[in-house]
Amino acid sequence: MLTIGKLAKAGDISADALRYYEREGLLAPASKTDSGYRLYGEDAVRRVRFIQHAQACGFTLAEIRELLHLRQAESACCDDVRSRAIEKKLQLAAKIRAIQVMSAALDMLIAECSGGALPVDDCPILAALEAVSGETGRRS
Amino acid sequence: MRVELFYAPGCGKCAGATTALKAAAEALSGVEWCEVNVLDDLDRAVDRGVLTLPALAIDGYLVFTALPTVEQLVAELHRRGGERGDGA
Repeated sequence: MLTIGKLAKAGDISADALRYYEREGLLAPASKTDSGYRLYGEDAVRRVRFIQHAQACGFTLAEIRELLHLRQAESACCDDVRSRAIEKKLQLAAKIRAIQVMSAALDMLIAECSGGALPVDDCPILAALEAVSGETGRRS
Repeated sequence: MRVELFYAPGCGKCAGATTALKAAAEALSGVEWCEVNVLDDLDRAVDRGVLTLPALAIDGYLVFTALPTVEQLVAELHRRGGERGDGA
């Protein structure tokens, strides 16, 4: 059995993060000592790595909880997991698209300003931001 | 009108009543049915704002984020057809 400290070291993660996983229903100690210290089975290391890998792929903790349930559900199959991965890819692609739009907007703002020691009252970037927010207000 | 069904192979929810929906849509005049595998055309799905599967877009706009019933789809197509005045 592993203490929370040993599990944290094996998973390269903080003990606080492990307690947070527990509060989120992702990880539970196999037992507790008489003094109340958490004890984890060897499979907890794999579970922590699963959570970390899934987070690295963009899954939220709630989605990871679903993936963990799927892993244990007898009725679930590979297609169920694959569908979630495809939907996550769609969501990431939408975020990338939104970030590209933001980046392009910044390119335009940067191009409008040649820098220098102008007072901020004359800053074309600040002026453009004011204009943009005004336009947005009119559209909505 | 162009109806686009966004799906992924193996997606259980996508399989649903697709055949019935396609038949109902194509029975209306001026309606074109198109099935888009998001793995082949991710950009188009992102263009339409598709975040979950299956999803259904009409004339480029995301309208259903889950498979509608045949009645819901037909009603929506009639409504849009009425707005455009083409009777579809």
